[in-house]
Amino acid sequence: MDSQIKQLHQQLVNKEISCTALVQEKLDALKANTNNTVNSLLDTLALELASKVDAKIANGESIGLLEGIPFGIKDVYMVQGTYTTASSDLLKNYKSAYTATAIQKLLDAGAIPLVKENCDSFGHGSSSENTIFGAVKNAINPHLVSGGSSGGSAVNVAKDYTVFSIGGDTGGSVRQPAGYNHVYGLKPTYGRISRYGLMAYASSTDCVGPIAKSVEDIRIVLNIMSGKDSKDQTTYASAEIDETSITNSEGIKTIGYFKNFIESDAIDPKIKSDFLASIEKIKAKGIEVKELDFFKSDILVSTYYTLAMAETASNLSRLDGSNYGNRIDDKNLKESYAVTRSENFSEETKRRIVGGNQVLSQGFSDEIYLKGLALRDAISVNFENDFNEVDIILSPVTPNSPPKIGDSLKDPHAMYLSDAYTVGFSLGQLPTLTVPQGTETGLQITAAKNNDELVLKFANFLKDTL
Amino acid sequence: MSKIMTVDILSSIKGAQPSEAVNKLFDVIKNAQPTNNNSFNNNHNNGVSLNDLRDDVVIESSAMEKQIIIENFPKSKNGYLVVSKVIEE
Repeated sequence: MDSQIKQLHQQLVNKEISCTALVQEKLDALKANTNNTVNSLLDTLALELASKVDAKIANGESIGLLEGIPFGIKDVYMVQGTYTTASSDLLKNYKSAYTATAIQKLLDAGAIPLVKENCDSFGHGSSSENTIFGAVKNAINPHLVSGGSSGGSAVNVAKDYTVFSIGGDTGGSVRQPAGYNHVYGLKPTYGRISRYGLMAYASSTDCVGPIAKSVEDIRIVLNIMSGKDSKDQTTYASAEIDETSITNSEGIKTIGYFKNFIESDAIDPKIKSDFLASIEKIKAKGIEVKELDFFKSDILVSTYYTLAMAETASNLSRLDGSNYGNRIDDKNLKESYAVTRSENFSEETKRRIVGGNQVLSQGFSDEIYLKGLALRDAISVNFENDFNEVDIILSPVTPNSPPKIGDSLKDPHAMYLSDAYTVGFSLGQLPTLTVPQGTETGLQITAAKNNDELVLKFANFLKDTL
Repeated sequence: MSKIMTVDILSSIKGAQPSEAVNKLFDVIKNAQPTNNNSFNNNHNNGVSLNDLRDDVVIESSAMEKQIIIENFPKSKNGYLVVSKVIEE
């Protein structure tokens, strides 16, 4: 099966390339890149680890599949001793004191971290323009946005600067940039991978997500990172997904799509016709396709943002410059908090914190926040009913193609609405994979909770079908 | 509480005002009709079972971790974190 990881592994084992040369080549490409994907390079650490892998191979020792494979990390993950800025002024000099569980598992497997990757500040954005390191430029057309918030990670994979990257997906932040840059990006079932050491945005939907160039690489990396972690009590134990179990589409008889997503006035006509053409090809393979009813896009977007803003207002309240961060002292403690936060948060982050505090305030919480929770429950029930009818739900990733750099910052409400097709699956905590096929910004494959295996299986089927 | 707290105070952000773009999102929620009004059912209950709680033990941080935490202090004196005078009101 197509796999960049396996190919490089074989080349290392056969001594066709050295790990040091591989890592150096990627570091040089990252350093020279003009897409603004890099917040900081981990060159010293990466080269040190690479020389250890080379020594092992030279000694005739066997190496694991991920050993010596270079990867990137969205700059919201803790990696001990490295700068972890969340692309923000507040944390521009902050160093992680510990390492995130998901990243530690990759390090334990021998993968080599190259770079902390540019993203929207604290994950707040859908374009990777909301960052102190400069807007991330799209891998295919540099005048367009990379998508976000994990824009740097998706572009690095698309450009082969990293073999895979670890993004974070709260409302589409892995899937949408994967679609915009024509690579694979998975949001696993919520709780499958530990969030410990991932800077919290909206804790009830935050997911660790791999981005790669093949389904097989997604599977390999997902297996390594998954598992129960006592440091994140929302995690659960999951079985490893076997390569042979996802090679055919056996067991997938019926799929569905949301009629209102496709019939909406907001969808680009080309994305609509390409999506419907993909549906026809799937039908031609003997799979039954059902049209499903779903909540209106504006309800999905509003429910998601209401809850995400409430959660981020709480999560980011700790960032006051007391113990760490770019503190600005003023006449007393309270003023110091306010000045530090006012000067160091981006406009988008402030907008979300204020929105969160609005909906949590007395008088508003019943009307907005609690109603948002009730809507989320209704959305989950809708999904449960759908998965009694179909095995897979297929949808476009975005209603439109990537906007030009600068456009999203001018119109935040339009940016929120561009998340219409991704946020519902986040609220449902479902496994969803973007595949770079079907429409200009790809397709999303979703299965029922804990059924990440079926998602990968259907992705392999689409690879051969579309 | 008798005191009215405005969003700039709640958010600790000077001069913060609700934004029009975000208010448009909230208006949709206000006008929506959820099919059930029970906001506390179990569909997104991710809490850990009481039988599966982690051990209640103190885990000592590594020397490296402590060192980095100290390096991150915005202001320090003789190895201690310096903070502004505590709120008096």
